[in-house]
Amino acid sequence: MVIGLFLVPFLFGTVSAKTLKIGSMSPLTGPYASDGTDIKNGVLTAVEVFEEAGGMPGYDKIEVFPQDTACDPRQAVAAANKLINLKVVGVIGAYCSSSTIPSSETLDEENIPMITPGSTNEKVTDRGLPYMFRMCGRDDAQAPASAKFMKESLGAKTIFIVDDKTTYSQGLADGVAKASEALGIKILGHEHVNQGDKDFSAILTMAKRENADILYMSLQGYSPAAMMTLQAKRLGIKSQIVTQDACFQPKFMELAKDAAEGVYLTYGFTDPTTPEYKAFEKRYVPQYGKIAAYSTYAYDSATSLLKAIKAAGSTDPAKIKAELMKQDYQGVAKHIKFKSNGDSGSSYIAFKVANGEFVPYWEPVNGLIK
Amino acid sequence: MEYFIQQFINGLTLGGMYALIALGYTMVYGVIQLINFAHGEFFAAGGYVGAIALAYLAGLGYMESNPVICLTASFLLSMAYCAYLAVGIEKIAYKPLRKESRLAALLSALGMSIFLSNGMMLTEGVYDKVYPSELFQGGFDFGMITISYLQIMIVSLTACLLVGLNLLVFKTKIGMAMRATAQDKTMSALVAIGSNRIISLTFAIGAGLAASAGIMYGLYYGSVKYDMGFVPGIKAFAAAVLGGIGNITGAMLGGLIIGMVEIFGAGYISGEYKDVFAFIILIAVLYFKPTGIMGENIDDTRV
Repeated sequence: MVIGLFLVPFLFGTVSAKTLKIGSMSPLTGPYASDGTDIKNGVLTAVEVFEEAGGMPGYDKIEVFPQDTACDPRQAVAAANKLINLKVVGVIGAYCSSSTIPSSETLDEENIPMITPGSTNEKVTDRGLPYMFRMCGRDDAQAPASAKFMKESLGAKTIFIVDDKTTYSQGLADGVAKASEALGIKILGHEHVNQGDKDFSAILTMAKRENADILYMSLQGYSPAAMMTLQAKRLGIKSQIVTQDACFQPKFMELAKDAAEGVYLTYGFTDPTTPEYKAFEKRYVPQYGKIAAYSTYAYDSATSLLKAIKAAGSTDPAKIKAELMKQDYQGVAKHIKFKSNGDSGSSYIAFKVANGEFVPYWEPVNGLIK
Repeated sequence: MEYFIQQFINGLTLGGMYALIALGYTMVYGVIQLINFAHGEFFAAGGYVGAIALAYLAGLGYMESNPVICLTASFLLSMAYCAYLAVGIEKIAYKPLRKESRLAALLSALGMSIFLSNGMMLTEGVYDKVYPSELFQGGFDFGMITISYLQIMIVSLTACLLVGLNLLVFKTKIGMAMRATAQDKTMSALVAIGSNRIISLTFAIGAGLAASAGIMYGLYYGSVKYDMGFVPGIKAFAAAVLGGIGNITGAMLGGLIIGMVEIFGAGYISGEYKDVFAFIILIAVLYFKPTGIMGENIDDTRV
C-alpha cells in the first residue's frame, strides 16, 4: 500500500508529462545564418501562440528542436537523422533547397511530415514524397512572374544573368532565362560565380560591356547580392538590377546602403493589413526585431502542422496529412490551402527598394501597385 | 581595349591586396621556415579593428569633418593591433616549438588559425560587419572605363607599402639584420643580432601589412566577416609559393599574377572556374621551376 502510494503519483507523473516534439531545420551558422534564425524564431513564435491558445490536448507542452543545417546538404541529412532519433512528429524546414531535398528523403523513410517555409526549387515537391509540403511559392512560378515584370513594367529587351550555382540559384536563373526568351527578351550573357566569392569585378565588367537593360542576380542569400549591387554601382553599370526572394532581408539594405535603392526583387505577396499579420507583427517585432524573409512562412508552417495534429487527435502521419489537406484558413503570410502535391500556391509580386524599405511595386494581374 | 583596361584595373586592385597578404607568409617563411597558416586571420582581424575604429570615429562625428585623418588613424590602429597580436601568437604558439620538428609548428599554426577565426565569430557574431562605404564614393570615367577613388587609393597605398617595405629590408640596418637572421641564425647571433627580436619584428611587419589589406578589403567590398581570412589567405599563400617562398619581390609579383589571372580568367573565359585558373598557373610554374618565379636560392634577398 505504501509503495503503491508512492508509485501512483510517479506513474501519473510520467503519463501526464507528455511532450510533443517538433523539429526545425535551418542554417543557424554560416553565411545564411540570419535567414535561418528568422525561420527558427517564426517556429518558436507559432508554438508560443499555439500553447497560449490552449495547447495540444493530451500533451503538457510542445518542445521545438532547432537544428542547424548550415545550408550544407550533408549537415542537413545529419540534422534530419538527429530529429528522427529525437522522435519528432513533424519538421519545419529547411531553408536552402539543396538542404531540403536530401534531408526530406531521410525524413520520408520514417514518414515524418516536413513543411518547408522557404525552399522554392521545383524539385522539392515534384519528387512525389507523400509527406513533403511547401508553404512558399515555386521557382517555376517566380521565374515567369519576374520575366513578365521585366518585360511589361521595365520594358526590358535584353538581360544579363548571374547565378552562383546552388540548386536554388541556378534553377531559378535557368527558369528566368527560359521565361525571358519566351517573352522575347534577349539574353546577352549567363555567367556563374562561386558561393563565397566577394570579388565580382570581372563578371560585372563583362556585364557592363554587354550593357543589357537588366542585370539579373540569382544568388543564394542577401550578403553576396549586396556586395554585387555595391560593386555594380561603383563600376558605373547602368543596367537595372533585378533579383529574387533570397534578398528579401532588411540586412540587404544595411550592407548595400545607397546602392540598394531602386533594386527590384520578386517575393511572395503578403497582405500586411490582415488581422493575422498585425497580430503576428505585434508579437514578433518586440522580441526578434524586423520581420524578415521567411519568418512569416515559418510561423504559418508550424501553425499548420500543430493545427493538423490537433484536428487529427493523433500523431499518425497519414492522419496529419489528411488534416493538412483539409486546411483552408488565412495565415500570416498567405491564405493556406495545400494542393495534392504538397504545394500551397505561389503569389509572386515585385518589390522595389525605396528609402531602405521593400515597397510592393508591381503584381502580375493589374500591373503597378498604387 | 577598354574592356581589357577595366579588367586590368580590377586585377591590379585584387592582386595588390593578395600581394600585401603574401608578404607576411613569405617573410615569416624566410626567417623561420614556417608556413604561418594563421596569417589569413591577421588579415580578418585587421579588417574588424578597422571597422570598429571607423564606426567609433563616425559615431563621434569626426568622419564627416576629417575623413583622411580618421582613415589614417584606423589604419595605424589596426596595423598596430595586428602586429601585437602576431607577436603574441608567435610567443605562445611558435616559439616553444622552434626546436621541435617543422611539422609541429605547422600544426600549431593551423590550430591557431581555427582558434582565431572562431574567436572572431564568437566575439563579433556571424553577420557581416558593415564598413562606412560612403567614403571614397565615386570615381573617374573615361568612356567605358571607370576607376573608382577607392581603387586608386588601394593601388597607391599598396604601392607605397611595398616600396616602404623594400626600403626597410634592403636599405636599413634592421633590414640587414633581418636578412642576416634569415641566412644564418647562429652566425648572426655571433655578430650581436638578437634573433628573437628579429623574428618578432618579422611577424609584426607581416601582420601589419595583412591588417592594412584587411581594411582595404573592408572598404572595397563594403563589409567584413569572421571567415573572410580563409580564401584570401589560401590565395596569398599560393602567391607566395608562386613567387618563390621566402622572396619578398617574388611575393609581390606572385600576388599580382594571381589577382590578374583570376580576373582575366573570369573576364575572358569563365567566371565559375576563376579559382581554377589561378591554381593552374601555380602548378604550371612549379612544374618548370619548383622554387617559384624568383627562386628561393637567391640568398641575400631572402627574409
